[in-house]
Amino acid sequence: MSAFGSALDENPFYVLGLSPDASRIELEREAQKLLGMLELGFAGATTYATPLGPRTRTPELVRAAVAALRDPYRRLVAELWARHAPPATLESTPTAAPAEATQPGLRRRLGWSP
Amino acid sequence: MYAIPILLLSRLHHYALDARRKNRTTRYFLWSAVAALSATIVLTVAALFVYVLCYAGLWFLALAVIAVLAVPLAGPLAIRHVLVPRGAFRLAYYLGWASRPGRDPTAYGLVVAAWAVAVRPSGRGEAWVASQRDRRIPLGDAEVIATALLAAARGDAMTARSLARSSLLLVENHPSVRELAGEWLAVDAAERGAWSELADDASAARWPASPLTFFLEGVAARRVGAPNAPSERELWARWLVAPKRAATRELRDTATPPPAPAPRVRDADDEAADDGVDAEATGAVALDERAPLPRAIAAHLAFGTGVRTEETLRATVRAWDAALTDGATHAWLARRAIELEAPLGAVDRALREVSAVVSDELGRLADAEELGAPASHGPVGDSLGRRLRHGRLDALEAGFTRWAARRHDAEIRSAIDEWREFIALRDAYTAAVTAGGLELRRLAFPHAYATGTAMAAWLWNARDEYALAHAIFRWLLDEALVVGDSEAIELGTRNCRLAVPTRSD
Repeated sequence: MSAFGSALDENPFYVLGLSPDASRIELEREAQKLLGMLELGFAGATTYATPLGPRTRTPELVRAAVAALRDPYRRLVAELWARHAPPATLESTPTAAPAEATQPGLRRRLGWSP
Repeated sequence: MYAIPILLLSRLHHYALDARRKNRTTRYFLWSAVAALSATIVLTVAALFVYVLCYAGLWFLALAVIAVLAVPLAGPLAIRHVLVPRGAFRLAYYLGWASRPGRDPTAYGLVVAAWAVAVRPSGRGEAWVASQRDRRIPLGDAEVIATALLAAARGDAMTARSLARSSLLLVENHPSVRELAGEWLAVDAAERGAWSELADDASAARWPASPLTFFLEGVAARRVGAPNAPSERELWARWLVAPKRAATRELRDTATPPPAPAPRVRDADDEAADDGVDAEATGAVALDERAPLPRAIAAHLAFGTGVRTEETLRATVRAWDAALTDGATHAWLARRAIELEAPLGAVDRALREVSAVVSDELGRLADAEELGAPASHGPVGDSLGRRLRHGRLDALEAGFTRWAARRHDAEIRSAIDEWREFIALRDAYTAAVTAGGLELRRLAFPHAYATGTAMAAWLWNARDEYALAHAIFRWLLDEALVVGDSEAIELGTRNCRLAVPTRSD
């Protein structure tokens, strides 16, 4: 995944499902709660919302997220992305469909391909 | 001797069609009249000759004369409707050879054999056509077009398209062969819905038009609303003359001109444009009330997931440059850095990090789509411009160096492989300089010129590949004229003046 993709997909605030205004204590508490839920296999804890659509949450991501937010500089950068990005969503982002041939099979019908 | 009237009639017919395609109505009627007169004279003389032979009791000779005269007319029909659909490449080759009088009938035979393989692909057929092609030295348009059709037989339409178009660079010109290439390209463009491309080919009369090509060009001209688009009645006439009418009926009925653009109501974008503000009306990058940073991220996401064009890239880069130089963004970062007790210099470092991340991502996407560096000056615009220019220049130089090194390899590659390498490099060069502008063109040209000239001279002197070498000289001269390299212009002009031995009629 590209660095830009990581900045949004793996943004610690999205991984923990918290707003950028969350306090340090709220972050730690949410991380513990999520780790417990993941260990027990709660289905609701296995995905999280990002502006690019739903992503899979793992215990490693949760631990990395809370560690990143303990560092003031990394929290500043994470906030910069999370605070200004479009709202996170659990719906997949539609991508541009490839252009379709307007006359599929025309070459065959006109005797130029099998 | 008997080839002269047939060639004359074919040429007159093409002149008339080309005049029609270029919207030169008077010339079209003039050429049509000359063609009709010539056809009448030729047929009358032939009929008289046959009559005299019959009158003298030489009916067997009369039959032979009729057969000789009928082959050029009936041969192509038999090839198109009987041999090609059955994949009879050998018969198509020999009948093609017999039905095209002139200096080089084999060229037509080779291409119709490749056409038969394209319609009924087989390894045996491909190997046979390739062996016939490799026997012909030097390389000319027929060999390139046959290779294009073999690529189409393998389902590689992109290579086929590129190779077929590349034959225009070659000085050797077999009109009957180019007519088939033009028809393949016209059908391919119609299948892809590339009507503008087809209408452009038609108005420039790049390829001699077969009846099917002429009909498809009419459809394209009507669809894009070209000024010389045929009327409905004329399109019907073209359709009637063209083969495969059942398959093209739908195209004829749906070839309606595009609706006239409705008068626009002035909106906020127009007012913004009047005020000198760039209205980035490109999909999700519409001008909105959001602050610069949310706008930039939204534009970036829209660019990554939506349609990627030069315009959407430029809008995204401008949005980022505006966001990262915006005073409000800096003030917010500085305040949060203090509140979080971030280390000294955290604001500048964060801005640099965001700029680098964004430039890398946009560069990757722009490279994938071969988009040019946008003209935006700012942390993202400058960095992206440098990245795209340098990356493409390095890749080009490496490609040309590899090409030049082939001269010193012990292994001699076939002429068609040399041609494909040149075409690939030329396409890469064109894509890079189109994206990078005149500045990159001036930087890229000297290396391309040095290696290209050396390769072309080697192909001319050591390999006797005159048409191939001439095409390279011609391309280098055109580029030299664009960048204004006087030494290259002088040498290129001298090289292009060399007489090129060809097999054209």
